[in-house]
Amino acid sequence: MQEVNVKPKRDQFFKEIENVHHPNEKLVKTHCSYCGMQCGMNLRVDTRTNKIIGVEPRYDWPVTVGKMCPKGVTAYQQTNHPDRILRPLIRDDASLKGTKEGFREASWDEAYDLIVKRFTELQEKYGKDTLSVFSGVSMTNEKCYLTGKFARVALGTRYIDYNGRFCMSSAAGGFLRSFGIDRGSTLPWTDIHETDCLFIAGSNTAECHPTSMFRVWNVQERGGYLIVADPRETPIARRADIHLDLRPGTDLALANGILNLLIQNGYVDEEFVKNHTNGFEETKELVKEFTPEYTSEITGIAQEKIIRAAEIYGKAPNAVVMFARGVEQQHKGVDNVSAYTNLALVTGKIGRPKSGVATFTGQGNGQGGREHGQKSDLLPGYRKITNPKHVEEVCKVWGITPEEMPQAGVSAYEMFELMEQKTIRGLYLLCSNPAVSAPNQNFVRKALKSLDFMVCADFYLSESAEFADVILPSVTWSEDEGTVTNLEGRIIKINKAQEPLGESKPDWLMQVELAERLGKGKYFSHLKTAKDVAEEFRLASKGGYADYYGATWDKIEKQDGVFWPCRDENDPGTPHMFLDKKFYHPDGKAKICALPYRPPAEEPDAEYPLRLTTGRVVFHYLSGNQTRRIQFLRDMCPEPYVEVHPETAAKYNIEHEEVVRLYTRRGEAKYKVKITEAIRKDTVFVPYHFGHEESINLLTNAALDPISRMPEFKACAAQIEKLSMKKVQ
Amino acid sequence: MVKKRLYLELENCIGCRSCLAACTQCGGHEQRNRNYVYDVNPLVNRQTMPLMCLHCVNPACARSCPAQAIQIHETGAVLSALVEKCIGCQNCTIACPYGIPKFDTEQNLMYKCDLCIDRTKDGIPPMCASVCPSNTLQWLTDEEIEAKQKQFNLDNGKWVTSMPYLEGETNVRVNLPGILQGVTKLF
Repeated sequence: MQEVNVKPKRDQFFKEIENVHHPNEKLVKTHCSYCGMQCGMNLRVDTRTNKIIGVEPRYDWPVTVGKMCPKGVTAYQQTNHPDRILRPLIRDDASLKGTKEGFREASWDEAYDLIVKRFTELQEKYGKDTLSVFSGVSMTNEKCYLTGKFARVALGTRYIDYNGRFCMSSAAGGFLRSFGIDRGSTLPWTDIHETDCLFIAGSNTAECHPTSMFRVWNVQERGGYLIVADPRETPIARRADIHLDLRPGTDLALANGILNLLIQNGYVDEEFVKNHTNGFEETKELVKEFTPEYTSEITGIAQEKIIRAAEIYGKAPNAVVMFARGVEQQHKGVDNVSAYTNLALVTGKIGRPKSGVATFTGQGNGQGGREHGQKSDLLPGYRKITNPKHVEEVCKVWGITPEEMPQAGVSAYEMFELMEQKTIRGLYLLCSNPAVSAPNQNFVRKALKSLDFMVCADFYLSESAEFADVILPSVTWSEDEGTVTNLEGRIIKINKAQEPLGESKPDWLMQVELAERLGKGKYFSHLKTAKDVAEEFRLASKGGYADYYGATWDKIEKQDGVFWPCRDENDPGTPHMFLDKKFYHPDGKAKICALPYRPPAEEPDAEYPLRLTTGRVVFHYLSGNQTRRIQFLRDMCPEPYVEVHPETAAKYNIEHEEVVRLYTRRGEAKYKVKITEAIRKDTVFVPYHFGHEESINLLTNAALDPISRMPEFKACAAQIEKLSMKKVQ
Repeated sequence: MVKKRLYLELENCIGCRSCLAACTQCGGHEQRNRNYVYDVNPLVNRQTMPLMCLHCVNPACARSCPAQAIQIHETGAVLSALVEKCIGCQNCTIACPYGIPKFDTEQNLMYKCDLCIDRTKDGIPPMCASVCPSNTLQWLTDEEIEAKQKQFNLDNGKWVTSMPYLEGETNVRVNLPGILQGVTKLF
């Protein structure tokens, strides 16, 4: 089996196609700025102006073979967009926080001096940990790595965390518990279409990862099966062989119910379970309760569908279990991930080609960005900050003593709580827009407003930047280079296509320059290029779980990316995980987890009888700070809406396109109604890409998962109020 | 150069409108898209379908043009109206049974899909089929289309490639919804 693990393959979809070369243009090979698919693309650059002017498919990228969604096709329009921030901005009047008003242009020196002065003052008065860094993973590994070092070495604070807590942290927690390692996919995407059964839970794949769809459809075209669990009949659910239309927040019961049927009906791989796993007997006992009747009662799915889905997954020679934020953004997201992973472990459908488990990574570098030290308790290479040996290894690379390494901090949402309590008084925000993306916005915005001093690095004036005292202009992805780890765990290379617009700078450079002014130059001044950061980062990851040491930029270029772990120069990387049936727990076994069911933190009641769930549309990415500015995407989806089933709409006497008030215990907003039969009658859906008074996160629940600290975006109790009392004709 | 055709597998459409965005990126398209994607029954489900120019062998748009502004390329692509010839009469927009030609009222000119002629003349797939994430739009040889026809042979007369014609034979091949009915399950 080992021989399949040499290097990434090219498959039936890969065709040798020439690109069109227009006069006075060059093509720069790179990848998309948006989601974890990281579709290959060529940026078209005008060689007279040296500006990006368009996009050309990258047919030679083996994962996506030229395909792009509408966000990818128009991604290039971000770079030279009129909304770009071109110089640092300072706001002297703090009373204007929370608005776009009061900013004036400043030089980099003035901006840096002000930041250093205020940060130093705050730390002298309130201690090192009064500062915080809130980061994101829509940027290169090099930037993610350096941000962790910047927080701990330059600022010396324990409080750093990132927007992956709203995205990938439950997948990470689940995989760590089940496998002892967190690589988002145990197999390369070029295997997906060759499997016999896809079991996809909580993923609106057609809208959130569209360029996976040609592989998904190919499974059905070959006669394989597609099972989709989703409260809505999404485009992928519409064509599924089985659509498990569950109530939001009941995944754990469904996964336990399916597992019970697999066990009862003889689909257990006894040998695999015995030799390579722990926890089977205990789990078997626990899931016994989850009969089709009981599972159906909790989930609202018809019994026949649950039985049939288990039968198909059980019978399939090869199968892949896939999931996304639908199961992960719950206050039991980690349990959901481990529970779905149980299906593969019990049936032994893992650790071989065409079978395995995968999560659809939401952000461009959601995988790499969570491995290298932006998380409150992690250091590069997926090392733990609570493990003295790990701390020592990283300290050697950083040149600090273990005593100088700050302690573990708190998770993203909990940082806002500390801001509100004045434990945190200063914030350096980059690559994230929590004033849209965090749950319970009324609280989060109040916390941001209460800060003594806030810096925001962004290339547009985001809703979060409106709370800043200083805005530093960063570059778009196309104006810098570095690596990103896509949803397969494949390390790929982002290339620079244009010089930074105006006076904008890459985040790593700002951090080096700030560190120098903070008197920490000796730890940062040697980093003069993105490549310098890359070299130090590879070294810092060496020997860790997520070992990138052997993933040189040359190797990435030569073999269409490198799957981590890649431990040395001669290691081609690891496209398939666990081929030797060795997992990463100390005894080499995977853990089958016994997981008691818990309902969502907030269940519907008489006052709030509806279930509110949120998600993406195909035209927007994350908080929409980028995509809402792109004309084509805004034309396609200019505003949020609330999806309501016609029978539910009739009960409330509301009509298609009527504006209603939607509210929960935490907040309210007004939305246009979109009537559709493609949603459960007890559920309403609102896309989350919109800011200010349109943000659905004014309503969402910040109940956190005990392990991943992921808020429960995907299920809370809500009510609709009709606004206009229309006269009955 | 092996001749390839645009092939539409309507069952695959996920409504992402990537084809519309990509259309604006073609060299000669002046950032305006020339194709359509429709929600089939938006209040009921998420079914969508693209509507592309089918590049008729004997196109009504060209026949109806009093100025002979609509040329047919040697590859069979029915081109957008020649700017210097188009008189803005809009006959073509009425004549086309599929409603494809668009009209620019400001410039008084029609414009339509030219199958990305600056790409397809060299055998490079058009932008829409290049980017289509769901393989609704594909760029295939006649042999590949033949193979599809065999693979999905329904034996019940339901296999349709642009039949029955509204406007004679078309260069583009269309597979209407129902493709999966003929698939034999693996187990």
